[in-house]
Amino acid sequence: MARTTSSRRGFAGSLVSGLMTIPAAAVYTGLTVVPVGFAVYYSFTQYNGIPSQPPTWVGFENYARIIQDPIGDLRPAVVVTALIAVAGAFLVNGAALGLALLLRRTTPFNTFARVVMFYPHVLSALIVGFLWQAILGPQGAVNNLLESRGASSLPFLADPDWALTTLIVVIVWAQFGVQLVLYLAGLQAVSPELQEAARLDGAGSVQVFRHVTWPALAPTVTVTIVTSVLSLLKVYDVVLGLTNGGPGDATQTWAYEILAVSFANNKVGLACAQAVLLVLVAGILSFTIIALRRRAEEGAEAVG
Amino acid sequence: MSTSFRRRARGAAALGFVPVLALAACSTGDASADTDDGSVRMLVNITDNLTQAKWEELVKPFEDESGIDVKIEGPSGQSVAESFPALLAAGTAPDVIQSIVPGPDTAPELLDLTEYDWASDTPMADLYSTDGAINVVGVGMQAQSLMFYNADLFEEAGITEPPATWDELDAALAALDDAGVATPIAFASDWATGVQVQQIWHPQQNLTTPGWQQSVADGSSTLGDQFQPVLEHVAGWVEAGYTTADDVATDSGTQEANFIAGEVGIYPMGSWFSTTLAASPPDFEVGVFAPPVDDAADAPGPMGATIAFPYMVWDGTANPDGATALVEYLVTSDEAIAKQAEMDSFSREGLEPSGNEYAGQVQELTDSAPSYVVPGNQTVGDYALPVAGFNPKFTELAQGLWQGRPPADVAADLTAWYEAEKLG
Repeated sequence: MARTTSSRRGFAGSLVSGLMTIPAAAVYTGLTVVPVGFAVYYSFTQYNGIPSQPPTWVGFENYARIIQDPIGDLRPAVVVTALIAVAGAFLVNGAALGLALLLRRTTPFNTFARVVMFYPHVLSALIVGFLWQAILGPQGAVNNLLESRGASSLPFLADPDWALTTLIVVIVWAQFGVQLVLYLAGLQAVSPELQEAARLDGAGSVQVFRHVTWPALAPTVTVTIVTSVLSLLKVYDVVLGLTNGGPGDATQTWAYEILAVSFANNKVGLACAQAVLLVLVAGILSFTIIALRRRAEEGAEAVG
Repeated sequence: MSTSFRRRARGAAALGFVPVLALAACSTGDASADTDDGSVRMLVNITDNLTQAKWEELVKPFEDESGIDVKIEGPSGQSVAESFPALLAAGTAPDVIQSIVPGPDTAPELLDLTEYDWASDTPMADLYSTDGAINVVGVGMQAQSLMFYNADLFEEAGITEPPATWDELDAALAALDDAGVATPIAFASDWATGVQVQQIWHPQQNLTTPGWQQSVADGSSTLGDQFQPVLEHVAGWVEAGYTTADDVATDSGTQEANFIAGEVGIYPMGSWFSTTLAASPPDFEVGVFAPPVDDAADAPGPMGATIAFPYMVWDGTANPDGATALVEYLVTSDEAIAKQAEMDSFSREGLEPSGNEYAGQVQELTDSAPSYVVPGNQTVGDYALPVAGFNPKFTELAQGLWQGRPPADVAADLTAWYEAEKLG
């Protein structure tokens, strides 16, 4: 009898727990699963987004077009996106970790500096783009200053290679604030005793960082790499404000191709196929990074 | 099952349905509900010249006369072109849409205005109709093929007459360059690059191949062949340094300011630039000439032109009579037409010359044009290319000229793009 009551209570508890998840599950389903499901469905159709003109099932036609890329639209955009993701991830994490190490101690100046460093992330990405266009454009503040001093202007946004480099630097400037906060939080969790013990054993600052701080930061590094790569893969707003994809197609990203080219021309089916592929690539990259980082994280547990 | 458990389960179930109820409450009902009160919603372009206040002032006499309330709405996205399809998708399209013309996707969603007598009498109705069917009307014509020039710089460079042929234009640019003019001819970034290159080519292109869009559509010509000659001209100017890569990274607003500041010799732009000039008159004399042709005997060539203040009516409107009455008022009332001419200058037969001296010069040029022709990014009518997104692609490819791409490669890419797009 006691076992029956206990079993019933266990079942009841599970039922209540299950019911309590319904709100979150409903919101997640309504706002994520359903739209993604529609996007996947539309990716197999020819559809212009107008409800009175229903989608026509075309199978893998949109995907075939993306792979064939008959007019060389998406391939350059994928290359640009890959460059932004790789270079951007290194620079974002390098800058964020470096500054986190400099600002780890809580002093009035460091607190102020942290706010200043985080501030770019608060700005709308579109505004960041326009802001830097005003600074680095052919007649922007920097070139005006150079010319007023008799120097030649620099083609920050006028030359394709310069424009891509400028775009990456601006994106890094706009994004590293979040990573900085994550690294600061991660550094707080590194055992001061362990660092102190290493110093007592004669380790220098570089050795303490290499053998104690860096291994202990491994889980934080994984999170910052994954989050930065994901946000770099879908860069759009900064591109729109800074270069609008130009000159030519030099700074058109994958997301720009989806939103400013395919969607803008009412090619919802093709845009959805491009978006589905981007989501798949993002997922594969994320899981690959997490798998590659597993060993480093195991080392962190050992240090901890 | 205990009472407390049942209470907790009911509470959990209720909580579980809250989002569903909330979503249901947020969902839209009848899309036309907004206009059930007899009002008419009009989606318009909002710019420095076309402000919300000016739009409301424009429709006020109509509201007073008809008793219909007109609700002016600006675009929810970057532009009306972007907002209208989004509003159609959301089921909340406005009754009247201003500033854009129909495209292949939006045309089936628009009211056929052919049956209204006043519609066929509107300017450019013939060039914007498909097999005689009209679904967009306007108040006049905006000239596209215009070359604004700094007459003082021309005089300093020893140019006595505005160029009429391509050879004369090349000579004028060389003279401006020799005279030390910083930018003999200015182009701008984004949409402007493609529009400007098309603008300077309209006259000769339509002399060489009248109705060239139909030739491309029926396969007797290619898009690349149509534009390769002008691409070669532009490439030559880039090579000579008359225009630099900085140009196509500089927005049109800044280039217009450069022209007004006296740093630019020639600035190709549409007639709307005359409104900007009137608002900030330069301290030098401004002239306007038609883009060149190959043979002086053909000058001036056909004038590239687009419909001014285009209006369309959504087919799903709950108030078709009110919406069409509003459009009829806007495109036929002398008072409304004069008001719109004040808001943004355009040409129209019988319209009193504007007090704007620059618009007056434009009017003279349009009056002397032998015919009007629609540009390549025209999306409606018998002269529309059967592709979407022409100007953005043309701009992207044309900007390659400033990076040293050979014109033949750019032309080949244009043809390849057209062939892929017309299929898809």
